This record gives sequence, C-alpha cells and structure tokens, in this order.
Amino acid sequence: MIQRKLSVILENKPGALVRVVGLFHQRGYNIESLHVDPVEDLNEYRFVEEKLNINLKEGEVSHLIIATTVNDNLLRQILRQINKLIDVLMAEEIK
Amino acid sequence: MKLAGNDMLIQSLIEEGVEYIFGYPGGAALHIYDSIFKQKEMEHILVRHEQGATHAADGYARATGKPGVVLVTSGPGATNAITGIATAFMDSIPMIVISGQVAKHLIGTDAFQETDMIGVSRPIVKHSFTVDSAENIPEIVKQAFYIATSGRPGPVVIDVPKDTTAPDKLFEFKYPNKVDIRSYKPPIEPDPKQIERAVDAIIESKKPVIYAGGGAINSNASEELRRLNEILDFPVTNTLMGLGVYPATHERFLGMLGMHGTYQANMSMHNADLIIAIGARFDDRITNTPKLFAPNAKIIHLDVDYSSVSKIIEANIAVFGQVKNSLKEMIKLLEAKKELIDSKKIIPWKKQISDWKSQHGLNHEMHLCETDEQPIMPQAVVQHIYNITKGKAFITSDVGQHQMFAAQYYHFDEPRKWINSGGLGTMGFGLPAAMGAKLAYPDDEVICITGEGSIQMCIQELSTCTQYNLPIKIININNEALGMVKQWQDMNYGGRHSASTYQSSLPNFVELAESYGHVGIKIEKNSELKSGLEKALSIKDRLVFVDVYVDPNEHVYPMLVAPNGSLKDMWLDKETKT
Ligand SMILES: Cc1ncc(C[n+]2csc(CCOP(=O)(O)OP(=O)(O)O)c2C)c(N)n1
Ligand SMILES: [Mg+2]
Repeated sequence: MIQRKLSVILENKPGALVRVVGLFHQRGYNIESLHVDPVEDLNEYRFVEEKLNINLKEGEVSHLIIATTVNDNLLRQILRQINKLIDVLMAEEIK
Repeated sequence: MKLAGNDMLIQSLIEEGVEYIFGYPGGAALHIYDSIFKQKEMEHILVRHEQGATHAADGYARATGKPGVVLVTSGPGATNAITGIATAFMDSIPMIVISGQVAKHLIGTDAFQETDMIGVSRPIVKHSFTVDSAENIPEIVKQAFYIATSGRPGPVVIDVPKDTTAPDKLFEFKYPNKVDIRSYKPPIEPDPKQIERAVDAIIESKKPVIYAGGGAINSNASEELRRLNEILDFPVTNTLMGLGVYPATHERFLGMLGMHGTYQANMSMHNADLIIAIGARFDDRITNTPKLFAPNAKIIHLDVDYSSVSKIIEANIAVFGQVKNSLKEMIKLLEAKKELIDSKKIIPWKKQISDWKSQHGLNHEMHLCETDEQPIMPQAVVQHIYNITKGKAFITSDVGQHQMFAAQYYHFDEPRKWINSGGLGTMGFGLPAAMGAKLAYPDDEVICITGEGSIQMCIQELSTCTQYNLPIKIININNEALGMVKQWQDMNYGGRHSASTYQSSLPNFVELAESYGHVGIKIEKNSELKSGLEKALSIKDRLVFVDVYVDPNEHVYPMLVAPNGSLKDMWLDKETKT
C-alpha cells in the first residue's frame, strides 16, 4: 500500500467539508493529511467547468487535498463514496 | 402570494403532493404545527413516539413508492427519530424528515432542547439541509424531495430553526417547478456498450441466475424483470429486500437467498457461471465469506449507485443507470438477438436446480398439522395467513425468527407488498410501518407479522391506531423469547440463553389490545389455529391483535454456516449440515 493524494472539488457551503471528512471515519479509512482552500483563481480549474459543463465563480467552491494510504480497490471505493456526496463536484486521485 | 416561513414550509409540502405527515409536536416546531392546523390538504398523524413516525412514513413510502414525510421537534424529538432514519437509509427508502431547531441566535449555546441534528444524523442521511433563512424554504424543500427520490433514494433531513418559521414575517412564495443541482447527477440511462457486453455474456451462459434486490423495487422495475425473463426463462432468486419483484409462485422462482435462503437458491448462486445482479448490493447476509462466493461465476451488476458496484464482489460487467432503464435496453437488445439464444443449453442446469429443490426445499405443508399434542409451528402460522389472504395482503414484519418465517412462507407475487427492515434489522418497525401502509391503501389487508419481543418496542402505536381507526391485523408469533438471539445461543454458545427470555414477565397481549379499544385473540392449540386466524382476518373494521403461542424451540433453517463458510455451506436442521 502506498500513500495517495486525493483531490476533491466541493461546494463551499457550511457542512460540506465535514461530510467528506466524516466519510473517512464512517467507512474506516484514515486521513493522513488534509488541506483545504476556497478556489479564488479559477484559471487552474477550467477542467472542472469543462467536465461538468458549468461556470464557477470565485470563492464558490473549495479544493480539498487529502492524503491516505490505501490499495487500488479501496481507493476506487473511497472515490466513489466521496463523489456520491451531494455537495461534491469532483473527486479524483492526484497522480 | 405572501406567506410566513411556517406557511411556506407547509405549502411547499402540499405542492409536492404530500398526503400524510407523521409527527409529534414540541416547542421548536410549534409555528409549523400552527400552519398544519390551518390547512386541509394534508393530514397529520400524531404518533406516540417519534420512532413510530419515521417507521410509519417509511411504511407509507415502501408501499407507495412516494416519499414519506416526518415532522419532529428539536432535541429529544429529533434524536427519537434517529433509528427510523437509519432504517430508511439502510434500505434506500425516500423520506423527508423535518426537525424543529432552536432559533438561530441560540444555536451553539446549549439552549433548551438543542441538539446538533445535522451532526447527529449525518452518517445516516443521503443529504441534509439547515434552513438559514425563511426565503430559502421552497427551494430547500424542492431540492430535498428531488434528492430523496432520485438516484438511489434515501432520507433527507431539513433542520428548521424556529425563527425561520416565525408567523409575523412574510415573504413572496413561489414554489420552484424545476430543480437542478450541479453537483448531483445520478446516472439514468445505461452505457450501450455495457448493455451489449451483458447481453453477450447472457447468451453464452449455461448456468445463469438472476439475483434481484430492493433496488429493483425502488426503481419500479418489476415489470421489466418479468419481461426480461419471459425471453430468458432463467432461474430467479430475490433478496430479503427484493421479495415480490419477481412472482414467488413462478416456476422459475428459487425463493430467497442468503443467510436463511432456500437450499436451491443458495446452491444455484454458488454453482452459477453467470450471476445477473439487479439492484442488489452483495450484502454480507447474501455472500457469506466473500472470498468463497460463487467461485465460477461471471458477475453482471445493474445498479444506480456507483459505490455499490465492485464494493464487495468485483463485477465483470457493470451497468450503471436506473435499473428499470437498463433492463429495458437489455430486453431490446435480446429481442434483436433472439435467434442467438439457445434455450436448450440451460436444460441440465434447470434439472439440477429442481433436484436441489426436491432434496432439501422448504416444507410447505406444516399447516396441515391439527393435533394438539404438538405445539403450533411458527411456519404454519404464516402458511395459514398466506392461504387465507390468497397471497394478496401487505405484510409488514419486525426482526427475528418470525421475520424469516414470513419471508420464507408468504409467497409475494407483487412488489411493495413485503415491508421489512432488511438492512438495519430494526425491531419495532412492523407496527408503525403497517400504519403507513394502511393509510396508503385503506381497502387492502395490511398484516404485521411480529414477535412478542419486537412488538413491545413500538407497542405504544396501538393508541395511534385507535385515534385514526386503522384496522390492521397484528399476528404476534409468540415464542416467549428473543427467538433469533436464542437460536444463535443454541448454535454457538452451548445453549446458554443469556438475556434472551423474559421469565414470565410478558403482558397479557389480549387484554392490552382491548384496553386500547382493539380486538384481542389468543391461540394456543393447533386445532384452533386456522379458525382463529380466519376469524381475525374476517373482522374488517377493527384492529385485531392475535397472540399465537408457538413452539419455543423451533429454529429457522436453512442457515448459512459462518464464519468461513460459502453459500453452499448450510445448516438444514438442528443436526444436519450440507
Ligand atoms: C432494536 C433492536 N435491538 C436488538 C436487535 C437484535 N435482535 C435481533 S432478532 C432479536 C429477537 C427478536 O425477538 P422477537 O421479536 O420475539 O422475534 P423472534 O426471533 O422470537 O421471532 C433481537 C433481540 C435488533 N434487531 N433490533
Ligand atoms: Mg419471540
């Protein structure tokens, strides 16, 4: 098992972050590090707009980076669980 | 139209077509209750405990496919609702729970009856909302109903601080007619490539089994499943949650699978070369030891929830989408490829399955025993109910041996008629769930098959049944013990019955029912069983509580051998293992 970094784009709404973080505990996964910022410079996030066919505004979404140590199967499961959260726009592994 | 927050909330529910709201009042919800009083479109059902409200709304939802709606106050009202929310969550039942909350300026101050309901319920809801401002109520309600009912359904909590429902501030009310949540797009139509792969695998298979679960019922896919199998004529098994989605009296039906599944269902799954999973999630009660599950089977998995696929058992072919739509597409393609389907190929497999069934199938003749030297068998009670109601009743159940006997011996030919807590296994579910089903279908027979342990967990709802005149039938399969617990203690703990009996502390259920204004009937002998049940079910305008004393030593079989067993490893009776 190796450490992986997950990138999660979610709505910058009260309660959205804790749903992602809570999920790790509920499903028995461990968080090794966590970093979150509201997205101010949208230029780096055009791919999100393209993929979901939406327009983002400054500060409207947050970018969360989580490090965790899991195998491939579990990683896929975690990503699917995170993506299922209503406030999450996108979750993927940072390669 | 200008409305205050409380009226906007109620008007929004009316716009959603809500007929019944199940609830219990208290300080933080009083503005909302005042709005309920002023309208006539919706009926409020006052339960006797908030757990009852959630299960009743849940029973209504399971029977109708429409979301159940609950209203509770803050603090203890909200926490009392938790078990019912978790029950609905585990079985993917659409439900809206509106919880009162202390006023916004008091949040975080440990105010009277303040509980962080959003926090407490977070792991057991599909989503939740806090009303931050009264103006947002219509939009929040619209989104809540959409989220609860679309994709994989589930409960949604709306926490409503008291000040947002104040009657003295008016807002322009317009209920949104569209909803779009950019971060929530559940799959609807399947990928045609996956449909093609699935159909090819189906055509190649020699030992196929269709395994359908609660998701197929949630997606209203029963008709499509039947049509699919008119083409294929494959053996079909249902999970505990899926019973009724395929007709139990159909020749191809194997019975339920899993922990207490039939011998032929479990053997077919274990030996299959192809498993077509339809809205089922390979729960641990189904797979037994996942590593040993169906060693030679290719898996096709149809589901609306990405995270349910390849979670426990790797799917070879995953078909994401509403399973109703996925089945429609499969049917279309199979019809186009009809000449490639060789029905002769699976004849030996069908023969094998019918041999399994005749070797160790369930005994369907236990109701024939009429001698009073022998105790009443619990299975016979269910068989009689099935015969008397001709299989047409709604059956709700609780949790334990009686639940398994009901699942095994009442043969459901239609979806939504079998209403039980499969995922969470919540004792206390059966009676309130029956109330919800009866309100939805007042002209149908609604029967709660329960145990003397489970019924006492929500027995206060007998009073609600009196108030709203709900003539349900309660069949209490009384083995004077927490039978399922006792069975495990018999099998795994040397028969040490730790805390699973009551030492003659049971109430007189007949008198108890009568004191609520209902009819009570006690049955203790085989010779009285059929006539007693017939009498109970012939009373149409009263709630009847039938207390049937059964053999306290009976176990539920088959039962999977665990841990470390596969689906072919079963106890067939107290002495015999496969
Ligand atoms: C709320 C709750 N508590 C505990 C359990 C564990 N449990 C499962 S079955 C059972 C016994 C149920 O007894 P009864 O309702 O009399 O049914 P029987 O098995 O005797 O038919 C218990 C305690 C549960 N499922 N739900
Ligand atoms: Mg019992």
